[in-house]
Amino acid sequence: MPTLSEFIRARSQALQTSERLPLLAMTHVIYGYPTVEASLAWMRRLLEQGIELLEVQFPFSDPVADGPTIVAACHRAVENQPQMQLCLQQLGQLQRDFPQSRILLMGYLNPFYRYGLTRLVQDAAAQGIAGLIIPDLPMERAGQFRRDCTDHGVEPIWLVTPATPAERLASIARQATGMLYCVSRSGVTGQKDGAQQALADYLSTIRQHTDAPLAVGFGIRRRVQVEALVGQADIAIVGSALLEAYNAGGQEAGLALLASLGII
Amino acid sequence: MMSDNGYYGQYGGSYIPEILYTSQQQVQQAFDEARNDPAFIQALEQQWQQYSGRPTPLTFCANLTEHFGGAQIYLKREDLNHSGAHKMNNVIGQGLLVKRMGKKRVIAETGAGQHGIATALVAARLGLECTIYMGAKDVARQYPNVFWMRQLGATVIPVTTGSQTLRDALDEALRDWSGSYADSHYLIGTSCGCAPFPEMVSFFQSVIGREVRQQSQAQFGALPDRLYACVGGGSNACGLFLPFMDEAQVEKVGVEAGGKGMALGEHSIRLSHDLGQPGIAQGFASIFLQDNQGQLQETHSIAAGLDYVGVSPIIAHLAEQGQLRMTYASDQDVVDACTLLLRKEGIIPALESSHALAAAFREAGTLSPQQRIVINLSGRGDKDIFNVARAVQDAEFPQFLRSYLREYPDNLQLASDAGQGRAV
Repeated sequence: MPTLSEFIRARSQALQTSERLPLLAMTHVIYGYPTVEASLAWMRRLLEQGIELLEVQFPFSDPVADGPTIVAACHRAVENQPQMQLCLQQLGQLQRDFPQSRILLMGYLNPFYRYGLTRLVQDAAAQGIAGLIIPDLPMERAGQFRRDCTDHGVEPIWLVTPATPAERLASIARQATGMLYCVSRSGVTGQKDGAQQALADYLSTIRQHTDAPLAVGFGIRRRVQVEALVGQADIAIVGSALLEAYNAGGQEAGLALLASLGII
Repeated sequence: MMSDNGYYGQYGGSYIPEILYTSQQQVQQAFDEARNDPAFIQALEQQWQQYSGRPTPLTFCANLTEHFGGAQIYLKREDLNHSGAHKMNNVIGQGLLVKRMGKKRVIAETGAGQHGIATALVAARLGLECTIYMGAKDVARQYPNVFWMRQLGATVIPVTTGSQTLRDALDEALRDWSGSYADSHYLIGTSCGCAPFPEMVSFFQSVIGREVRQQSQAQFGALPDRLYACVGGGSNACGLFLPFMDEAQVEKVGVEAGGKGMALGEHSIRLSHDLGQPGIAQGFASIFLQDNQGQLQETHSIAAGLDYVGVSPIIAHLAEQGQLRMTYASDQDVVDACTLLLRKEGIIPALESSHALAAAFREAGTLSPQQRIVINLSGRGDKDIFNVARAVQDAEFPQFLRSYLREYPDNLQLASDAGQGRAV
């Protein structure tokens, strides 16, 4: 099986000759929201539409890096008492059903920590999950986690932000493998888009330090923002905007948003 | 107490979103420099004295001592700080640090509202913009504090997500900081959160224990035999205990909120009886009340300031090492202890501090008259007037509220009924 970065490169290549914008879509879904079944159905629908990368957030009671829309959905999802082990098994089934896409599991540290980080990596690998995103696990505290990921063939996906100091950004970027998650502007997820100029400089700085695919997220809600990423990044992450569309009009509204963004 | 690179044993650390890395480093560096700068320490001590009235007294309680017939009972009177609680020690320190860093705005979370008021006071004095996050349930329980925060010029934002208490307020404050770090400082009110906050808040609060050492020597020529402090986040406990960590013979007793019962959601007992589990949340590793999937759980206490799901990593570590003894007091014990202090000594304690009283009162009679105990009276109880009135089933209080409302301008009452500030 190709590595995550090989998968992304091959799909990027294929998109160059398609009618879509040449960016992979990474869509975000909260496991357990509004119910476990409904969230799985939504994931399946997205994968049927050919979404290349599915980011699944395991909900946490205290999601400090997320904005109001995702926070509210996480709290709702937590009420459904999501179980990590079952979540991993169900994501594994989706991965087997849609081998042309990749599933990434995102979540805050505590539920993963309670499950056991080593066990999480092992079980995620066994289910074919390609990568893990843990926004409150800093790289410098992640020694064992990184070794586990290497041993089991799961990509740990790190975040950089416009506030990350230059030296640290270079260090994180150099160590990125599967992809690097580039937060496009300051703040929590889901805020309105800011200036685009700084984005180009920011991404080109990151690009100097890594060959890993660059995924850009936090605040994408209009096609022009996606177009601005062409040639500078590989993946457009759609999170809060997709959830807002889903809340407003269900799966159809979500798909309509993705179509309007030019990424399905 | 110095941390080992932000850690206390397995607890502490800095587990924050990458977006906050620079701000966290900036606070760490500013604190490291300030704590070693004699000019900063001098300014701190001057503000503690001139603005907050330190040193606070160590008050001998002759009537209570006689009542229990055991140990000599002393109170460390943090209730006599400006603002009525120990919270002032920390906000003065961090306020001076904010000025040193050149930031213009402070963000704070608050539970009972004591830290919110203290922050709003210092922000007003230092000319800083101030935003306070407070759980909507706490806003309802402690509206008078909200009123004063707003009068002081602070923006108070009720947090309606999750359990609507301190932990949700903390989450919201962190989210604000994620977007505002360039000009804002997150002024954490307790010895929790990412490094260096537990160490920094404890550093500023340790003035409590240092004064107790000096006052004990001056007043009775020895160190106390036992110390009691309530433990919510843990800042007043850290402040009292840490200057005594070299003296194992001075027993330290931390008192958690026993609430209404032992079922999950009815209490805030994290350390006693191993009801909490190790976890990593809200920026730090500690013991949290959580379910088997790692979801943080709801808590309860009659005292909003103790109603917290986690606990200081310093307290978690010292308890694990056996250097602290942790116990708890129920809501009912707390009201009884509060009432006893009122009657015997003419002091109105905060319900938070009354937890420490309750545990000390349980044990005082078992000690000898030669032994001395010091209870940290971390705050005064004026703010609890509504909750205490209800708890003691005061018959005239409802009548007072009704006549108060009758005389309140009708147009404001209508605005209130429409959904604004229907707290009291």
